[in-house]
Amino acid sequence: MTILSRLARQREYNVLALLVLTVIGVGCANHSFLTAGNLGDILVASVPSVIIACGLTFVIVLGEIDISVGSLLGLLATVMGQITSPTHAGLSVALGIAVTLLLGAFIGLINGVLVAFGRMPSIIVTLGMLTVLQGINLTLINGQFITDLPPALRFFGIGQFLGIPISLWTAAVVVCLAILIARETPLGRRIYASGSNPEAARLAGLPVRGLKLFVFTLTGFLTAVAAVVSVPKLGVIDSGVGQGLELLVVTCVVVGGTSISGGRGTVTGSVLAALLLSVISPMLIFLRLGPSVTYWERAIQGAFILVAVLADHLTSKRHEAR
Amino acid sequence: MSTPFLKINNLSKSYDGVRALTDVSFSIEAGEIHALMGENGAGKSTLIKCLSGVVRPNAGEVLVDGSPIQPGDIRVAESAGILALHQESTAFSHLGAVVNIFVGREPRRAAWLLDRPRMQREAQALMDRLGEKIDLKRPLEELSLAQRQMVGIARALSHQSRLLIMDEPTASLSARETQTLFRIIRQLQKEGTSILYISHRLEEVFELADRVTILRDGKLVETRPIGDVSRNDLVRLMVGRDLLAEESPASAATDRVVLNVDRLTRQGAFKNISFSLRAGEVVGLSGLVGAGRSEVAASIFGVDRADSGTVTVEGAALKPGSVQTAIKRGIALVPEDRQRQGLVLPLSVASNLLLSVLGSVKTGIFRSAAKENALVQEALRDLLVKAASPAVAANTLSGGNQQKLALGKWLAISPRVLILDEPTRGVDVGAKAEIYKIVQKLARNGMATLIISSDLPEILALSDRILVMREGVISGELSRVQANEEAILALALPAEGIAA
Repeated sequence: MTILSRLARQREYNVLALLVLTVIGVGCANHSFLTAGNLGDILVASVPSVIIACGLTFVIVLGEIDISVGSLLGLLATVMGQITSPTHAGLSVALGIAVTLLLGAFIGLINGVLVAFGRMPSIIVTLGMLTVLQGINLTLINGQFITDLPPALRFFGIGQFLGIPISLWTAAVVVCLAILIARETPLGRRIYASGSNPEAARLAGLPVRGLKLFVFTLTGFLTAVAAVVSVPKLGVIDSGVGQGLELLVVTCVVVGGTSISGGRGTVTGSVLAALLLSVISPMLIFLRLGPSVTYWERAIQGAFILVAVLADHLTSKRHEAR
Repeated sequence: MSTPFLKINNLSKSYDGVRALTDVSFSIEAGEIHALMGENGAGKSTLIKCLSGVVRPNAGEVLVDGSPIQPGDIRVAESAGILALHQESTAFSHLGAVVNIFVGREPRRAAWLLDRPRMQREAQALMDRLGEKIDLKRPLEELSLAQRQMVGIARALSHQSRLLIMDEPTASLSARETQTLFRIIRQLQKEGTSILYISHRLEEVFELADRVTILRDGKLVETRPIGDVSRNDLVRLMVGRDLLAEESPASAATDRVVLNVDRLTRQGAFKNISFSLRAGEVVGLSGLVGAGRSEVAASIFGVDRADSGTVTVEGAALKPGSVQTAIKRGIALVPEDRQRQGLVLPLSVASNLLLSVLGSVKTGIFRSAAKENALVQEALRDLLVKAASPAVAANTLSGGNQQKLALGKWLAISPRVLILDEPTRGVDVGAKAEIYKIVQKLARNGMATLIISSDLPEILALSDRILVMREGVISGELSRVQANEEAILALALPAEGIAA
């Protein structure tokens, strides 16, 4: 019982095992899957969801949710492109990146203020934000796609440092910092405590509202970081950037073992789940199951959520039963 | 005379105009175990909340070492050394003991980095001091209740607390765990910590306390050294007032049994509950909070499923765990928490009244507005509900009128058995009397009524018979002639010798 429940709670081990088995399994079926180039591509593709999942883990641990990250990334892509593209504003790349990061953090802050001080459910706040950002994005783009990003910006998407893509370095730093915050800082422990029992947190004098501001702002900022290292990879910025990303990231966090009711979960779990979900699409291609099979990607992602939440529910039920 | 460690001066607090605490003053010496007693609703919890900074009192002050502390701020109270050990609510059950002890004031290595080794070391030292062996890394949800409580005490100790407020700390502990807790309390006392100890168990108070303060109806009755009071004195001081506030009318009870409950048992809540209700009879169900009264009601009504035993209405057994059958057979329950369980607050007064009959007032397959209107008008008149119109939202009404509405919701289906759980909690005196009148009128019309109430005068005034529950069993039955507050309390308080 204790070993079983411990294992069930240590979801990151299950996710890691599943990830390793998938990679080895697909590799056996098709050796070209295991080439360094292919695995590297998969890692690079996973960067946006890995980075944003780090922030969203804190949000969900605190018992809230943010589903505006996909359309936020889309808007930030447009803003960054229009500031730096020579055919648009043509301003400096440094300015473009600075504005992107600030805007991301600012919109996260607005989400946080509405949730913490407006006392609205975060699912509604961020659903509204999702729609608002989408609308602004479409207005800004105005049907004209951005196709000519300056090389200095594209460096953040395709450039390398010591033979490893900039985006991977960035993701690694973000993940390490997020783990550090979660495990080794008073801030992190307070987020877990407040998510575990908000009333007790209040009685212990914890600044619960301040924590909410922090997690939403952090998630907005990390969405901007993800935009900076992933968007310049694209040749074209259109209105479809970031679409559906919010669901993917929520899936990562939940599959990674974070309890949707708060208080429980790890950054490591979310990151491993993000990698696992990034493997699905290439897996379907490399298994050569036919052209239409890639459409199954979304269905498989969805099934992962259901299984993860069910597992969560069953383990917590067993607890109450004792 | 020297200044006492802590002095409470004229503390008053009211919630939405209802006075919970009026002008309470007393003091606590350093190293004293001070018991705080009173009936349910006497103001103990409010006093604790004011002391620990959870709520801000309307008037009065708390002095520590002679100087007043800023009210209504948990952190200020904590840094003054005042710490409340609330029952279970303060635990972070997903997290381990170390985090639970230090969260909010974590030792740091740098401005933003936890000093984990030091946390571990200090937590271990605290546990050693308490003489407890607990796996400090385990999430609290995997520990026993007693162990969780030790973690709570360790948290208090880590604050260098000078006053530890313990609210019914033994409520869920076994006799042995209670003894361990007492040992720790005495040890803390020796180290100079004061304890404000809240308990319903007289034995515990006599065993531990140096002095006892008694509250009644939000007011201070007396503070006395424990050597100067007997068990009977304490009960009398807690109950205090004139025994029967109003003359109760003649009983309307008939001989026809409407509801019969036979050996009803639900694991962990109550066992072997047997009683019957006759038409026109009002039966009171008394006992302390947590004795299992509401749970019995919930099982009769089918909200919970009893493990064994039967409930019969006019000879026919009810299907266990089915609210629908219970309603169909004519049982109605007005729950304790009317805001959450009894009413749909944002809906209109009329909609609330019609909730229980939805589906039955119709012409053909459609709702009949005319029939609904007639029903609502009649109910509002009968129940003396003061509402601007049937269309206003239920949450705009006063507590008393909401309660009448919760009652009226059921009367629309003319039940045979009415179960009222704390019908007048948070209701002002005027509305209280009106609710009593409604209950008495219903009884005269043949309703069998079960009233659950912690308000002893209320239960004495309304009931033809009184059943008293203690720790999940019926500990006695009193006829109207036998019943008085002392007799009820004697049956409701835990048997002597449990703690010793």
